[in-house]
Order: sequence, then structure tokens, then C-alpha cells
Amino acid sequence: MAAVVVAGWWLLSLRYGAYVLPSPGAVARGAAEIVATGEIWRHTGASLARIAVGFGGAVLAAVLLALLAFLSRLVRGVVHDLVAVLNSTSVFVWIVISIIWFGLSNWAPIFTTFMITLPVVASNLVEGVASVDRRLLEMGDVYRLSGRQKFTAIVVPSTLPYLVAGMKIGFGLALKVSVVAEIFGVTSGIGYVMNYSREILATQMVFVWALVMIGVMTLTDKLVFDMVSRRLMRWR
Amino acid sequence: MKLEVSGVGKDYLIPVIDSVSFAVEPGEFLCLLGPNGCGKTTLLRIIGGLEPATRGRVILDGRPVVFEQWHDRKVGVVFQEDRLLPWQTLRDNVALVLTPFGRPAAERLATADRYLNLVGLGGFEDYYPGRVSGGMRQRAAIARALAIEPDLLLMDEPFGALDAQNRRIMQNEVRRIWRQTGRTIVFVTHAIEEAVAIGTTLVMLSARPARVREAIRNDGRVERAKLIDDLNTMIMEEVERQQGGGPLGG
Repeated sequence: MAAVVVAGWWLLSLRYGAYVLPSPGAVARGAAEIVATGEIWRHTGASLARIAVGFGGAVLAAVLLALLAFLSRLVRGVVHDLVAVLNSTSVFVWIVISIIWFGLSNWAPIFTTFMITLPVVASNLVEGVASVDRRLLEMGDVYRLSGRQKFTAIVVPSTLPYLVAGMKIGFGLALKVSVVAEIFGVTSGIGYVMNYSREILATQMVFVWALVMIGVMTLTDKLVFDMVSRRLMRWR
Repeated sequence: MKLEVSGVGKDYLIPVIDSVSFAVEPGEFLCLLGPNGCGKTTLLRIIGGLEPATRGRVILDGRPVVFEQWHDRKVGVVFQEDRLLPWQTLRDNVALVLTPFGRPAAERLATADRYLNLVGLGGFEDYYPGRVSGGMRQRAAIARALAIEPDLLLMDEPFGALDAQNRRIMQNEVRRIWRQTGRTIVFVTHAIEEAVAIGTTLVMLSARPARVREAIRNDGRVERAKLIDDLNTMIMEEVERQQGGGPLGG
């Protein structure tokens, strides 16, 4: 299967030329080159660092919002509306606004990532909190568990899977979004280097970095999120 | 522990429970019987302080039970579902309800093991609820209710979800545990054979709105087969009355 795809790719690259569709060999050489020069780590690291701040901040903010929503009915309504508004706002809106607010700096991709992933994680968490089994909470009342005991023994464990699911989707989104935002005003990161490669007509490097992105996404999914979910669900 | 239910009634949109009165002596095993939908579960929840009554009072050892207020008598409840936390082992599930008593963790775990052993779950302490059978989960729920050493144990059709064989086994177990621990038990069921097999007092409720139709001492003076026959006749009459009782009947 893979061999057929590569063969087809190679044939098409012969037909259209290296600028439109670089050959598999050229892409492989490009990949070897960025590994040899260490560029792969520099740019992937820069992107991941921005994601860590933007997406990490979004997770923290979402947890805070969900907590408040759990405690107050009023906040629950506000969070619900906020999530709806944020969810329907385009990535580009945040990129433009963040450039106006923060100039051409690291904060533009960080802020964009934050604003895009916040509603995804928050809506999952709020849904998780809302779906806590009332019958288990009533059991807690019968046995006179304190509010804190009910929170740690019942609310947190039933919400955690929703948090992990939200983070999994959120992280994928964070990677895609921050890379777009990196086209503007920063001089490192996968998005920057892809756009730069395009400008110097090195199309094969655009493909190489796209593959790096796919690799990062697959690895974090398999290594981080799947492992965490398995650990959380070990009672199943 | 003495429980008095006097003139308890409950209205939702329509009156569900008209007025029910009975008393339960310490160490008694009372079965609440009645047609489906006559308010047995609601009555049990009122006794447990999980729901307010529209009228009447529930008195535990001289003090009234008030909805959402602490009572100084301990009440354990076994629900129709096991209501175990799926992410905690059976041992942790039982130990959890001992935390409000503020004893050290090791003691809580030891108590949990003791009660799990009592209900026949020795060796399964480290299992998660999802890994054991429905009957075993319901046993764990009973162990949890017993672990707080309740003055009153309320059971709401705890074996409803079990197959006939497991049901029989669990009835014998509950009877044995009752004898062994001497707890006062109020047990809701709609299965007459079950009530006659395990209860010392049988209270038959009428169709909705519920009243006490009959209270019978099950002390072996009346022959079992005859008692079951009589109760069956009664329940069929009440079921018919309920079905004829308007648009919400049946």
C-alpha cells in the first residue's frame, strides 16, 4: 500500500516538476538534512514551547471556568454563552487581533492558540461536570460525605475523562492553529519555517515540515493521551 | 432504634401517598409491599430524609427526620442500583463512607475488609465494581451500608436487577446478616415470596394514593403458603384498583 502511494507520488512528481510536487527522494533528503543540522529540534521546540504556554493556559483557564460553573448556576450560563461565541470565532480573527495587540512577537501565536483551544477544553469539561451521576452524589449525601469528599471522590474522577478527551482534541487544534499564527512576525517554529521554505522555492522542505507536524501529532496522541486515558480507565 | 412513621403523605402533581402510619421496633425486619408505582420508594426516601414529606412525620428514636438535615441516628441505604464508584475498588468504596467518622485510614480499610468478608466478598477487596457480577456489586453496596453500623438500614428493592438464582442467594444472605448484626431493617419489595421469606413484619400498601392496607406479623403462626396466597389476592385487588384509578393509573 505504502509502496504504491510512494510510486504514484514519484510518477506525479516527474510529471509536474520539483516546484509543484517534489519527489519522495528530495523530501527524504530534506528530512535527513534538518535532522543532521538540528533544525528539526529548534523549530519543533519553538512551536511546542508556544503551544505549551497557550494551550497550557487554556487548560488552566478551562478548569477554573468549569469549577466556577460547578459552584454557581449564574457562571454556568455565562460560560455556556462564552464557549458558544468563542467556538464560532475564526482563527484568522484572533491572528489579526493578536498582531494588533501584541505586535509581531511570540505572544501572537500564543494568544491565538489560547483563544482557539479554550472553548474546546472548556465545553468538554463543563459537559463532564454536568454529567456527574446525581445518584452517586445522593449516595454521598446518604453517607454524610463532606462537600470536599464528594468533590474529590465523585466529581473529579467522573470529569477527568472529559478533560483528557478535551485536551486531546485541543492539542491537535493547538498544533494546527499555532503553526498558522507563526507565519506572521516570528522567526522560529514550524509555521515560520514552512512559509520561509515556500518563499525560497524549496517546496520539498514544505513537505518535510508537514511530515514533522504529522509526526508530532501522532506521537503525542499515542504516547501521551492514549497512555493517560488508559491509566485513567484502568478500572474499566 | 425505634422508627415511627405517622400520617406521612406525599403529593407531586397528584397525591402519591395519602397517609401512611406504622412503627418499627428495634431489631425488626419490616418489608414494605405494594403494587408497582404505589409510592414505596418515595416512602423509603422520606424515611431516609432524602425527600421531604408533604404531611406527617417520621420519628427516629424520638427525634423527627427532616429533609436535608443531619439526624443523630445513622441510616444506611441500599438503593435499587449498587451506586458504587466505578473508579474505586470494592474496599475503597466501603472505606469511603467511613471517612466522615474521622478514624485513621488503616482502621477504615480494616473495617471495610471485615464487612466485605461478612457479605461473602472476601478475596474480592481489590476488584473494581466493573469486574464483578451484579450480585457481587449489590453485596458490596450492602457491606457499605453495614460498615457505618447503621441504626436503621433501608433497602429499596436491592435485588430487583438480579436473576432468580442470585436473588434467592441474596435473600438468604440478608436474612443471615440481619440475624448476625441485629440491625433494624426496612426493606421495600414488590415480590411477595421475597417479603414472606425474609421479613418479620409485612406492611402491604394500597394502590395510589397509598395507605396501609394490611400489617401482618410474619411469625410462622400463619402458614407460609396461605400467607402468600392472601397477599397475592390483596396485591391483585390493589393493582386493579390502580389501573382503574384514572388516566395516570397503571
